[in-house]
Amino acid sequence: MLVKFSLIIGLLLCISNTVIAKEAITPKGLEYCTVCHGNQVKGNPNIGAPRLTKLQPWYLNRQLKNFRDGIRGSHPEDKTGGEMMNMVSQLSEQEIENIVEWIASTESLKPTNSITADAHAGKQLYQTCAACHGAEGHGNKLLGAPNLTGLNDWYVLTQLNHFRTGVRGSESDDTYGQQMKAASVVITSEEDAANLAAYIAQLK
Amino acid sequence: MKNISRRQFLSYIGAVGGSSALLKTGLAMGMMNEDSYSGPVKIAPPSAKNKPSVLILGSGIAGLATAFELEQAGYNCTILEASFRAGGRNLTVRNGDKIDEMGNTQICNFDKEENMFFNCGPARIPGHHRRILHYCKALNVPLQVKANSSKMSYFQDDQFLGGKPKRIIEYHTDARGLMSELLWKSADSSTFDQMLNEEDVEKLMSFSKTFGDLTENGKYIGSERAGSTTDRMLEHPQPHAPLELKAMLDSRFWYGGLLGAELYDWCEPLMEPIGGMDSVVKAFLRNLKKQPVLNAQVKKIYNREKGVEVTYEQGGKFHTVQADYCFNGIPAYFMAGIENNFTSTYQDGLNSIKRGHLFKIAYQMKERFWEKDGIYGGISYSADPINQIWYPSHDINAKKGVLLGAYTWDPEASAMFESLSPAERLKVGAISGEKIHPGYSKYIENGISIPWARMNHQMGCGMRMNEEDFEKYFHMLQKPEGRHIMIGDQISHHSGWQEGALASSEQALQQLNTLLSASVDQGGKIHVS
Repeated sequence: MLVKFSLIIGLLLCISNTVIAKEAITPKGLEYCTVCHGNQVKGNPNIGAPRLTKLQPWYLNRQLKNFRDGIRGSHPEDKTGGEMMNMVSQLSEQEIENIVEWIASTESLKPTNSITADAHAGKQLYQTCAACHGAEGHGNKLLGAPNLTGLNDWYVLTQLNHFRTGVRGSESDDTYGQQMKAASVVITSEEDAANLAAYIAQLK
Repeated sequence: MKNISRRQFLSYIGAVGGSSALLKTGLAMGMMNEDSYSGPVKIAPPSAKNKPSVLILGSGIAGLATAFELEQAGYNCTILEASFRAGGRNLTVRNGDKIDEMGNTQICNFDKEENMFFNCGPARIPGHHRRILHYCKALNVPLQVKANSSKMSYFQDDQFLGGKPKRIIEYHTDARGLMSELLWKSADSSTFDQMLNEEDVEKLMSFSKTFGDLTENGKYIGSERAGSTTDRMLEHPQPHAPLELKAMLDSRFWYGGLLGAELYDWCEPLMEPIGGMDSVVKAFLRNLKKQPVLNAQVKKIYNREKGVEVTYEQGGKFHTVQADYCFNGIPAYFMAGIENNFTSTYQDGLNSIKRGHLFKIAYQMKERFWEKDGIYGGISYSADPINQIWYPSHDINAKKGVLLGAYTWDPEASAMFESLSPAERLKVGAISGEKIHPGYSKYIENGISIPWARMNHQMGCGMRMNEEDFEKYFHMLQKPEGRHIMIGDQISHHSGWQEGALASSEQALQQLNTLLSASVDQGGKIHVS
């Protein structure tokens, strides 16, 4: 009985510690990332820094290079994009790979929903998105479309609006961004964008 | 006071000067308290066997003062600091110091001299900031007067007088003269007949004449009060030509710099610690038994049944620490990125505190050229994004000096500077400085810039809440959440001032006293896993 009991206790301890055990140590020099993006890059809406856990390495790699090369974030209205550009302007290819590898190893909980909108209406709009991002929103590397599940809904909303208004995706070198900008014509209002973001937030 | 008791002395004064004299003298003798401040909070002493442990997050002024008071009262405190240095926004930089801006690390290249320093954060202390002045006195931080205004300094606006800088004394004198002339005219045209009798109106007219230095018939034609276009010692003074009323109204000085020395927090004389504001930080550190744990970035804060559990990352490892109480000075907007089990309302309150965008530039000038122009401290105001130029009032007549070349809290101007590289910021600042002091650029030897909203671990200065959020959340954030209490200037009506930080610490310690009197479950040690 006692043995069984301590086994259970041991198991419980393991479970409660697993979260910590799986959490990634922040590599030296990358503490800067967690100042804004939070513990295990879980995201922080107050800074406008999204959750990065669960984004595919190839997508993170592309975006870091885009920020570094001024392909993303240089639009004057993209305030947080501008802040991000400053952070990565000096990074080498190897440094970018190291960052991506670390982010892929982070563990954070799927964010809770923060926007109130009509996810049902969003589902209709999502039909267009599904062509590249997949019906479940898991993305498609061949088409350059990232995983959308596990992103903060407020971040998805901001980006949808940025694409729609040309704050993102206007740079000629931003091939995929331009595709998104073109695809975002189906979003005709702030309300549409919110509905769509609410639907994406529901995807598993 | 020989052979006379204090009471006798007071009744004597009372008889001579009436009760108001009695009141004023009583205040001077410290018998009646004019303000409510009576020194730091007296913390309930711990009992010998139940010594509560305390964790303090952040080693800014609020964290340091909280730790100091608790240690003095006999508590065991651990300060966790995310940065490589203690002090928070109380930052004074000198030769070789690192300025930890996100994505733009700068190293300060000022000459390696005692007087070559720059207060990047707080830089002045008014006489009514009793808390910070208390600590300066108690912890032996020598102070000196800091000239926060100089009537010899300038106001410059591209849209005013063709961009020509105007001495502040000339502007002030002309503004007073022009306003007085209007007042004289109004009085003369019987505007005040309903309010004042004939004698009063005459007094008002004499007042306006004296106040504005008007001619016998109520005209303002310039005044010797603003100096002279001739050598005043050897020749008859010749006033400067006065400003046109319309030009004055069109200028952007009267709703900005004109009140620079008029507001309560800037009322003179102000003070500064000799050798740099970080003397305050050093004094706290000198007097702390346990030094802050540096490079320790907090990742999780959990209220537990009998205390608070904090996980931080340091040196490639996670550390989990437990304590009976936790005082948290981390900027509130970071808390959404730190795991916690706060109630959603409390977290909403924390989210309502927004980043402020203060920005400063400092230049090392190879000569104190401003002194040749009659300026020995104080501030010139610019309508350009740099907004202000501060002249050091310490080390007058030294060869070189560190000049503040920009200080703005206008979010747009700050955003512009934030988006530039450090070298570009210095160039932009130099162009504006040149408009006030021709030749300015050639004196610049090197410089630094401090965009507080881009500084590592701070990401803002001058936090703000909108009015609605303030009503809704401020009082909640002043109260403990479990055994966790927020501190820092962010939890005050006076964000951006050390006095606000100290006031927050004071009220948090009062909250602790309340918790202590209600709680018996304490006495745990801080244990690190």
